[in-house]
Amino acid sequence: MKRDSFFINIIMLTIFGFFLSSCGQNSGDSGDSDKPVVALVMKSLANEFFKTMADGAEKHQAANPDQYELIVNGIRNETDLTAQVNLVEQMVSRGVDAIVIAPADSKALAPALKRAIDAGVTVINIDNQLDQDVLKEASLTIPFVGPDNREGARMVGDQVAKQLQKGDAVAIIEGVPTAFNAVQRRLGFEDAMEAAGIKIVSSQSGSWEMAKANTVASAMLSEHPEIKAILCANDSMALGAVQAVKAAGQNGKILVAGFDNISAINPLIESGEVAATADQHGDELAVFGIEAALKILDGGESVNRKTRVDLITKP
Amino acid sequence: MNAITIQNLQKSYVPGVPVLKDFDFEIAEGEVHALVGSNGAGKSTLAKILTGLTPANSGNIDRHGRDESAIVLVLQELNIIPTLTIAENIYINALPRRFGVINQASLNHKAKQALGRVGLKNLDPSLPAGSLGVGQQQLIEIASALEKESSVLILDEPTAALTGPEIELLFDNVRALQKQGVAILYISHRMDEIARICDRVTVMRDGRRIATHQVSEVETTQLVAEMAGSEISSRTAAPSQQKEKITGISVSNLSGGEKVKNVSFDAYRGEILGIAGLIGAGRTETLRAIFGADPISGGEIRLGPEQIPFHPKSPSDSVAKKLALVPEDRKQDGLLLPLSITANTVLASNRSLLLDDAGDRNATVTTGERLALKYDSPDQAVGDLSGGNQQKVVISRWLLCESDIYLFDEPTRGVDVAAKESIYTLLDELVEANKTIILVSSDLTELMSISHRILVMSNGRITGEFEPETWSREAITAAAFAGYENRKETAA
Amino acid sequence: MNMKRFLTDYAPMFIIWVILILLFGSLSDNFLSSRTLSTIAGQVPPLVLVCCGMTLILIVAGIDLSVGSVLAFCATLFCLLISKGNWPVPIAGLAAIAAGGVFGLINGLVSVCFKVPSFIVTLGTLKIAFGLSLLISRSETITVGMKLENLISPLPVLGIPISFIVALCLVVIGQFILSKTIYGRHLIAIGTNESAVRLAGVATTWKKVSVFVVTGILAGLASIFFAARLGGANADLGNGFELSAIAAVVIGGTSLMGGRGSLINSFLGVLIILTLDAGLAQVGADEWVKHVITGMVIILAVLLDVMRGEMGNRLLQKYQQLRQK
Repeated sequence: MKRDSFFINIIMLTIFGFFLSSCGQNSGDSGDSDKPVVALVMKSLANEFFKTMADGAEKHQAANPDQYELIVNGIRNETDLTAQVNLVEQMVSRGVDAIVIAPADSKALAPALKRAIDAGVTVINIDNQLDQDVLKEASLTIPFVGPDNREGARMVGDQVAKQLQKGDAVAIIEGVPTAFNAVQRRLGFEDAMEAAGIKIVSSQSGSWEMAKANTVASAMLSEHPEIKAILCANDSMALGAVQAVKAAGQNGKILVAGFDNISAINPLIESGEVAATADQHGDELAVFGIEAALKILDGGESVNRKTRVDLITKP
Repeated sequence: MNAITIQNLQKSYVPGVPVLKDFDFEIAEGEVHALVGSNGAGKSTLAKILTGLTPANSGNIDRHGRDESAIVLVLQELNIIPTLTIAENIYINALPRRFGVINQASLNHKAKQALGRVGLKNLDPSLPAGSLGVGQQQLIEIASALEKESSVLILDEPTAALTGPEIELLFDNVRALQKQGVAILYISHRMDEIARICDRVTVMRDGRRIATHQVSEVETTQLVAEMAGSEISSRTAAPSQQKEKITGISVSNLSGGEKVKNVSFDAYRGEILGIAGLIGAGRTETLRAIFGADPISGGEIRLGPEQIPFHPKSPSDSVAKKLALVPEDRKQDGLLLPLSITANTVLASNRSLLLDDAGDRNATVTTGERLALKYDSPDQAVGDLSGGNQQKVVISRWLLCESDIYLFDEPTRGVDVAAKESIYTLLDELVEANKTIILVSSDLTELMSISHRILVMSNGRITGEFEPETWSREAITAAAFAGYENRKETAA
Repeated sequence: MNMKRFLTDYAPMFIIWVILILLFGSLSDNFLSSRTLSTIAGQVPPLVLVCCGMTLILIVAGIDLSVGSVLAFCATLFCLLISKGNWPVPIAGLAAIAAGGVFGLINGLVSVCFKVPSFIVTLGTLKIAFGLSLLISRSETITVGMKLENLISPLPVLGIPISFIVALCLVVIGQFILSKTIYGRHLIAIGTNESAVRLAGVATTWKKVSVFVVTGILAGLASIFFAARLGGANADLGNGFELSAIAAVVIGGTSLMGGRGSLINSFLGVLIILTLDAGLAQVGADEWVKHVITGMVIILAVLLDVMRGEMGNRLLQKYQQLRQK
């Protein structure tokens, strides 16, 4: 009996040691104290967009190993606020110098970030802009580095509108309603449709997820057979919508648009199944955020910075 | 002066089944009064009535101005809350508080003294009580009872889990309390202990007081005779087959768990081997070990006249070898209450791939007839049947398996008279068919009327074997108590 | 006799489903169309397969929280093997099913042999499977294009996809095993009173483990249909799927305490959940309305289940009156 448990302990330790050592490589945390430590806090790493962002940041750090240390964190799913708040708190207690965060919620993160700032941590907001009213209420100024989502969505919408007639019907699949960028993208789509005189017959949330969007899109197509286009607030949902269009036997007759330009969407852009998407250059996004943080740490000024959004269509 | 006087007490949990009948009793201040009797004599019920845990139906209890809370009971079953500390367990009813918060320092200080009284002064009172062994837990309970300002202390089998020195310490405490004028009611199976510390002893049987003696003036044999009683059995066993004895199962030096110690016996075909003993003597555990339901730590089992070795790893092994167990707790271990009579009856015998509804129903009806099973439909849920009929369903399950060796654990407990008769008739049939039957029962009258031979278990061991010519209630009762005497020898 | 069984056991669920369809039909212009029904038919198979497993596990008084994660892992693996590994679809499918079976075996062995509550074990495998999906997918969505189209495109005459027919067949086979074989009877018995079953000499260990393995295998099979419907997979796929499955199974009257359950009713539970999803989306309900209504339907269905016997008997009387006329 004694022997057995001894062996089990050895095996467990080996396994844990293996995992811990592989983790250590990723974080690149050598404990050097003179370099600033920057924590990148992302949303779901199951979403390719954030994975790209993280990869870009890591590449940047690898190219500039003398300037700073980087810690990358992600949460289980897009809407897991609690986990993200916990991450911020853990990073603060770890004593990082700066936090670069893509907030899962535009309002709920504010108190945690205020605590971080009070603790002397520099905070940069990327990707999804924090709600200005909430920031004002907390008398916070957090620089935002990121794209104008509304503008990007309007560009995608305009591209789709070009291929439609005035009076046609379209549907929107929104992201999580509590996220600022979800609202901005919806507004951008609406701006474009209004300008072109196109009717929005249905607008519902697909929770950023492929499967949920597929269900919602199928229902929309059944209810409104007149729909000519589906505008999705991200590419994962566009993938689900494309399948719903296929299942409805409307392949090629209904336009689908996405946002983010993930790699899985490229072949569909090629084949024309997805009419347009927007590239926010996620890899640069995090890098710009980190650069802004480093600048402030060097005594520079904090400014908002708009990053580029490119429209991607079939060449 | 009397501490408590009881007159004409009546108590029954189920109408028509009295647990206490016309019970008179008194205990004096500064007296240690023993209460003895067999299983079901009503001792524990009396203790519960005295402390107000259960109400009496009628009768008069005069506590001579004492509050019920001045009567403190240490139960036979342990009542420790394992996740709380030792100190918290001792003072669970009177935790010292300061500003509504438990005052741990004062609590632990007091607990240290309380532990000293029972010889545990080296124990850290802030440890969780669950980390202690059974014996120490028992001492914690006793310490807790001693801490309460009691004028009457009831100890129900207090030494069951204690060793020699611990018992001595307990006795010291009992004598000290006695000097302070506390009345102590001492419930025990252990005649040697009663002889040592008790002043008087009251014998109970079937809810009545049989006699009260000065301990110094009475012999153990007389107490045993009074506990055993002398009811005349209404039945006699089916004539023992006087042909040669063919072994059905032979058990040698079987040990397992805490309660089965070196048990050896042979059971023969065409015979009912009764097993008598007190509750907790290890009878149920012996049957379960033979059946493979609990692990065996030593000894051998051999089956049939060929003496084929048998090592049951699980009940499915035993069923394959034609053993059958009718468990003591049929609701917990025997039946699937929401399922149909049919499903319950064919549970053990059905080994094909597909269910055969019609065939199963026929089989259920046929075996049901053998046992005079009363039901509306074979599809009826077993939970709807009366206790007796439920027991018949468990038995008919094994009849369908055509088992050869039947282990019955309290087959007639909670069963009405008519159902009892059908079960006895079936037992006769099984004897006729040359099956081997081992039957545990706490009802001595029943055992003596249906068995061909009786083994007595006491404290995990076989302490007696009786043939009809040699048995008597006194002898069997004495054997049932035998394992609890001379503790030092048995512990060695 | 059979009519009686149908009326007391299945009719109440069936009626709730029909009521939902009629309700959404009246609220929406195009709900009562073959397209809606065929869409729902396309969404049914993965959830039904997982629910079959979940029902069996609940019957033996266990639970499996890992099904969603395992499904996502199998789907990701399946898509990777097809798109990156260029494996033939049937072989990749077998691999996905085998992967599901391995997870089920781990769940079963650990929970049964080491007596760890299945709630805890499967919570652990939920996390493990999610982590492994992230690892093998590198957080990307893996698409497979048109390769799986024939699994989910509606069959010419019936208007329902082949995946639906497979799922329906498995429900029928599963119900047969549950109510007509000794194995099924023993599962119900184990869930009712395991101690009694063991003391009746029935081997319980492998039977309990087998139920977890079957569930894993079904999750693997479900992942194929899921990937086919979405044309791809990612690690987020099974997010919350286990809760939908438990909801559908409980709506179908299966007891969380074990010993009672029916695959046909679980199937009807799935229909109710998915019809509700589709219907609420079609009438364009707000997000909060969807959640509140779904929650209310779950509670109502379970309340109805408590009264099911009575309701069935009343239906039976009506039916007999009608026949006499």
